[in-house]
Amino acid sequence: MTALTIMATGLRRLARDRTALFFMVLLPIVIILVIGATVRDTGEIRIGVVAAERTPLATELVTDLRQSPAVSVTDYAGESEARNALRRNELDAVLIVPAGLDGTLRSGGTVTIPLLGSAAQSIQQAARSAVSGLVARHAARVEAARFTVDNLGGTFDERLATATRLQASVGTVTVRTETVDATSDYLPLGFSYSAPTMLVLFVFINALAGGAAIIESRRLGIYDRVCAAPIRPHDIVFGETLTYLAVALLQSLLIVGIGAVLFGVRWGDPLAAAALITVWALVGTGTGILAGTLFRTPEQAGAIGPAIGIACGMLGGAMWPLEIVPQTMRTIGHITPHAWAIDGWIEILSRGGGIPQIATQLTVLAAVALTLLTIASIRLGRRLTA
Amino acid sequence: MSPVLAIAAKDLRQRLRDRSAIVLGFVAPVVIATLMSFAFGGGDSYHLDAAVVDNDHGELAAAFTQVLRDPELSDLVTVRTVPSEADARSQVDSGEVGAAFVIPAGFTAAARGGTAAPVTVLGRVDEPVAQQVGQAIADGFAAQLDAVRLSVATALSSGATPDGLPALAAEAAARRLPEQVAAVPAGTRQLRSISYFGPAMGIFFALFAVSFTARGYFLERQTGTLDRIRAAPLRPAVVLAGKSLATLGYALASLTTMALVTTLAFDAYWGPPLAAAALLVAMALAMVGLTALVISLSRTERQAEGIAAMLTFGLVLLGGNFVYVSMAPPLLRTLALLTPNGWALRGFTDLATGAGPSAVLVPVLAMLAFTAACGGLAVLLSRRAAR
Repeated sequence: MTALTIMATGLRRLARDRTALFFMVLLPIVIILVIGATVRDTGEIRIGVVAAERTPLATELVTDLRQSPAVSVTDYAGESEARNALRRNELDAVLIVPAGLDGTLRSGGTVTIPLLGSAAQSIQQAARSAVSGLVARHAARVEAARFTVDNLGGTFDERLATATRLQASVGTVTVRTETVDATSDYLPLGFSYSAPTMLVLFVFINALAGGAAIIESRRLGIYDRVCAAPIRPHDIVFGETLTYLAVALLQSLLIVGIGAVLFGVRWGDPLAAAALITVWALVGTGTGILAGTLFRTPEQAGAIGPAIGIACGMLGGAMWPLEIVPQTMRTIGHITPHAWAIDGWIEILSRGGGIPQIATQLTVLAAVALTLLTIASIRLGRRLTA
Repeated sequence: MSPVLAIAAKDLRQRLRDRSAIVLGFVAPVVIATLMSFAFGGGDSYHLDAAVVDNDHGELAAAFTQVLRDPELSDLVTVRTVPSEADARSQVDSGEVGAAFVIPAGFTAAARGGTAAPVTVLGRVDEPVAQQVGQAIADGFAAQLDAVRLSVATALSSGATPDGLPALAAEAAARRLPEQVAAVPAGTRQLRSISYFGPAMGIFFALFAVSFTARGYFLERQTGTLDRIRAAPLRPAVVLAGKSLATLGYALASLTTMALVTTLAFDAYWGPPLAAAALLVAMALAMVGLTALVISLSRTERQAEGIAAMLTFGLVLLGGNFVYVSMAPPLLRTLALLTPNGWALRGFTDLATGAGPSAVLVPVLAMLAFTAACGGLAVLLSRRAAR
């Protein structure tokens, strides 16, 4: 009962703290939104197009590019604007449709189309391969029209229309793609990437910064007064544990709910997700109480807590996928509980895993939580009786 | 010593005695830059290791393999020949190669006569780019092959007689495609992760100075230090200037440490020293403006801490300190330019990618405008509060 009273008081105190609510509620949502909107499918090659003329053949060429799933096309009015975007890495390449393209092609000439590439050689080559293939398809139609006009007469436009109509049916060489594996080692992209990673990051950071509440209670002498009543210290420890656990669970549920409703995140097997959220909340609880006994001032907890949380998030794959870092860093990253939690989410979200598939992660996280909670309660208990 | 300097020096001394300030201003940014540099140490460029299976052994299959080995593609693709499709699949699956091309049996004969079985590009779920690039290369090859057939078909459909087919085909094959793509280097430097996230994280942590200083102000008011300073024969402007100078100094020291450490240890490029310094000073000035705004918006130490934290996180999120802003949708890129840190990052991005020093002019002016707006608002608010 005492523990429940302590928890209720802790939660009431939190509800009145507008800054804490900002960090608990608003910030994670905004970050999920920003990161989710940025980390999207990068399969497309980003091409900027500067068209010096808007003639039929030039327009047709740009339309061909636009219809290809391999590239995404952005129009630019001037070359310098497009060059700036290329330099800033907002584009992978810039295609300059030269002036006089239409006239030259109609009169039997040859046109060279410059493709400006960024400094990264390989990206430029990838862009060039994609664009060359598309331009070749356009050139093939122009060539077929000219060839027919040369041999049989007629107007260029009439022959071009015939070539365009025939192009789809004469294709002899087709290319098909096939993926050899069905499941991914990454989280899905977009919000399904940002929501679970930010859940891991923020529940931990908030708990760590939340250690400030314990320090403040200590400073204000609240514990001393409570101890003056016939209440055993371990009831207080239990009450604080419940408070931190409730806060961590509430925040997790909020992120899960908002992720599902606003951002359409599918959280996978409910039991596995619930188990993972619970052990992670316990890890957060242990960390928060430990922070409350380690830091000396609430300011320290509020300032250094987030920095530690971000560093752990970076090591553990909450800021970027561990699949992109060197093997050594991946191994080192698994020192943090974050890496295990993210591995668990990958299993649940990308491979449809249930409890048996994440048993290892759950066990590791439970062990971490137990260790942290044990150390934290012993330390807090000592502080209370000291 | 002038009173301004004396006040600034006192504030700085006080700040440096606070371990949290040292950790946030100097240790944390360096640790985090180190982590980032290790994480992205593998390099930011892209390369495709591909396998090719030739089940055809004909002329066209050889031509296609030749295209893959073209020196022009050597930086992008490295090809190895594997004996069977099963081998190719297992190599793709294990990640040994990013993609594999399977040329079907009878490809050459069929392509000459009618419709050939498709060339298959094998890829992995986690490497969509490899597969896309593979497909683009194969598509380009197909487009070249199909061009001759399209010319002949168009002629036939337009009234040419089938008797002349061999002659037509020979003539069509002798002609070149009238449009060619020529790759032109844009003469820019590639933006390396450390050159973006170095400044991004440096600014993020330096922004904590806003909270420290604003809180310090209210603490001094509580303890009566401010009243005692006011009792001295000093104009309020002098006190304000001293306090602002301290914030400026702390922010600059933190940012410069980050710049030096990332440049010397991790090969980050912050740009030509003078241009980079202009951006750093303008950013530090913006932090002074923000501090003044936070102080004028708050009544207590707690409030100041809260408002500063919200402003800081709001700015770094919008400004792109946590994500590559160049990858963000256009709306987010535009919103980033409402923040001083967004402008600073734009400036550092431009410098790091090879724009001239004059590229910092607009960002610096934007940051100064932001500082002036914050300062003006702070003055208005405190006048209203005084009334």
